[in-house]
Amino acid sequence: MLIFLILMPFLCAFLVFLPIGKKSRLWLLFGVSSIHAVIAGSFWRELPPPEFSAYLTLDPIGLIFLSVISFLFLSVSAYMIGYFDNEKRDGRTLVACLLFLLSTMTLVSVSYHMGLMWVAIETTTLFSAPLISFHRNKQSLEATWKYLLVCSVGIALALLGTFFLAIAAHDSHTLLLPELLAGQGSMTINWLKLSVIFLVVGYGCKMGLAPTHSWKPEAYGQATGMVVVIMAGALTQCAFLALVRVSQICFKTGLYEFYSSILVVTAVLSLIVPAVFMLGERNVKRLFAYSSVEHMGILVLGLSLGSAGIFGSLFHMINNALSKVVMFLTAGSIAQKYGSSRVGDVRGVIRAYPVTGIFLLFALFGGTGMFPFATFHSELMILNSAIMSGRYILFVIAIICLALIFTGLGKVVLEMVYGEPTEPILARKENFMMNAAIAVSACIMIVLGLWMPEPLKKMLQDAVSMIGA
Amino acid sequence: MAIWLDASCILIVFFSLAIISTYRTVGMIRVFALQSFVLSLTPLFMHADALSVRDATLFVGTLALKAVLVPYILTWAIRHVSMRAETKSIIGLGASIMGGTLLIAGAFWVASSLKLPGTQVSDLIIPCSLATVLMGFMIMVTRYRAVTQVLGYLVMENGIFLFALSLFDAMPLLIEMGILLDIFVAVFIMAIVINHINEEFESAPAASSYSKMGESP
Repeated sequence: MLIFLILMPFLCAFLVFLPIGKKSRLWLLFGVSSIHAVIAGSFWRELPPPEFSAYLTLDPIGLIFLSVISFLFLSVSAYMIGYFDNEKRDGRTLVACLLFLLSTMTLVSVSYHMGLMWVAIETTTLFSAPLISFHRNKQSLEATWKYLLVCSVGIALALLGTFFLAIAAHDSHTLLLPELLAGQGSMTINWLKLSVIFLVVGYGCKMGLAPTHSWKPEAYGQATGMVVVIMAGALTQCAFLALVRVSQICFKTGLYEFYSSILVVTAVLSLIVPAVFMLGERNVKRLFAYSSVEHMGILVLGLSLGSAGIFGSLFHMINNALSKVVMFLTAGSIAQKYGSSRVGDVRGVIRAYPVTGIFLLFALFGGTGMFPFATFHSELMILNSAIMSGRYILFVIAIICLALIFTGLGKVVLEMVYGEPTEPILARKENFMMNAAIAVSACIMIVLGLWMPEPLKKMLQDAVSMIGA
Repeated sequence: MAIWLDASCILIVFFSLAIISTYRTVGMIRVFALQSFVLSLTPLFMHADALSVRDATLFVGTLALKAVLVPYILTWAIRHVSMRAETKSIIGLGASIMGGTLLIAGAFWVASSLKLPGTQVSDLIIPCSLATVLMGFMIMVTRYRAVTQVLGYLVMENGIFLFALSLFDAMPLLIEMGILLDIFVAVFIMAIVINHINEEFESAPAASSYSKMGESP
């Protein structure tokens, strides 16, 4: 079943290159995403057995992640059906690359071998690079270049880290996760420490943690909204999944203190950097990109704070993805309607397009973690665990940064929504599919913020106990 | 065969230094191809007494992808570009070589405190691969051009691979080939982007290239 889930999108990606119409291509993507989502949903009933001598295994952590990417692709493919109504391009490369990405990300979520995981994550980088230059111009090519280079080098360091891990686990002769965890007693601690540092730096590059976040504002500013949802919601969280796996190893080998001290430093930096850079920014996509750096910081912060924090962090992984759908799909709608995403060109959205205006407000409140959105809930859990473990200074820094980020984002978004319209706009009709895709995520986010379903809670607890906290 | 292994480790470091001290892009690519060739031989020297299918596959895979295809693609990427002749280094030739030498010394110093568990074939593998990784970084930092940055990345990858090819059985062959293929595809995509960048930049005045960074419709 797992191998089917990986191969199906991969093979369908080749169908896109057949001479079929634009519409059928988009429906193909939607169909594949739906099947993927149905199968991923059925795993909640019962986890599938391991395949390929346990190289592919789905555990609770992987399942949460798999469901997140499955949902993201479903939303994006529904949105694209509406988006391409007003678009001249045929989007062939876009659809093909998205299908390849779905396949490789599924591989990331089920891979139980650190080497295989590296291969899968590197492949996601490669298939996402052509997506950034969807609008083929100079700036988007520069952004693609920056993304490719920074992420490739980062991922290369993670490869070195993976090899160091293999040296540390010299006696187990394998990088399969269960055997690594079983053979923890014989690991060479010095090599393991070195490996952890390289893995954090490497996968941190890919996550866009400060100070290696520089590709994020460029790439997210240039890529079209649908692509950024996949990048910010799924691609970066692939790397986070790798860090979760590393934390599993660190817990077993008693290296968690060391690991968590590295994570705290990067997390604090990733909170401070966007807080500073957001204040002068006028482009809403770039602002959302900095907000994504902040969310990655929060995820990593949760990972460093013990079991309560990890619970919040895994929950935040879901909420972050949902908020990214609302943020970047709305930004995409605005970019399509106004031909720009700068606050000077876009003003008074609520009068011209009431629904999009409301979604933009949702994006602001959901993205900055306000009540009643689920991001509020998970950020509260993480900050709470900071207080419970007595890290008051960390708590204060995080609160100040979050407040600054809210100010920076609020100033621009509110001006966009309520500002005086610069010029009369040709009011185009709002597209139903586009709005429906955004509305579903917004609703789920509100529901999760008020009430956590029992199966989800149990799955999160299982995941936390798997990590070993 | 240990002497051959030592020799190839040293050669790989020398070639990295040679890339650092080369001005011409085409020359750099050729030296890189030589380095990859030597790299592809290491698994053979490593297990010379009992060659397995795995060593042979790695040899063929590395040789084909890194020593032949990648240099070919890079040459293709710069063929249409007028800047073929030379690439400036930020810090100049002498300083580059000095820097490279310091990096080698540093790598040996660091490696002296890192001991491999288990049996060891050659003492030179860790310091040489570290030195190559560091010099790859140096090439990326000190050269402007997109092609030379890719070369820096590749030299770095060669350093990492020196590690991988010589050390373990932890990676199944399939995954190791996956890693190789990934790197190859990365270079392929980079070459395409370089080509697009050249087209874009030649058709428009270069002065405005950074003016509206981050804008998109």
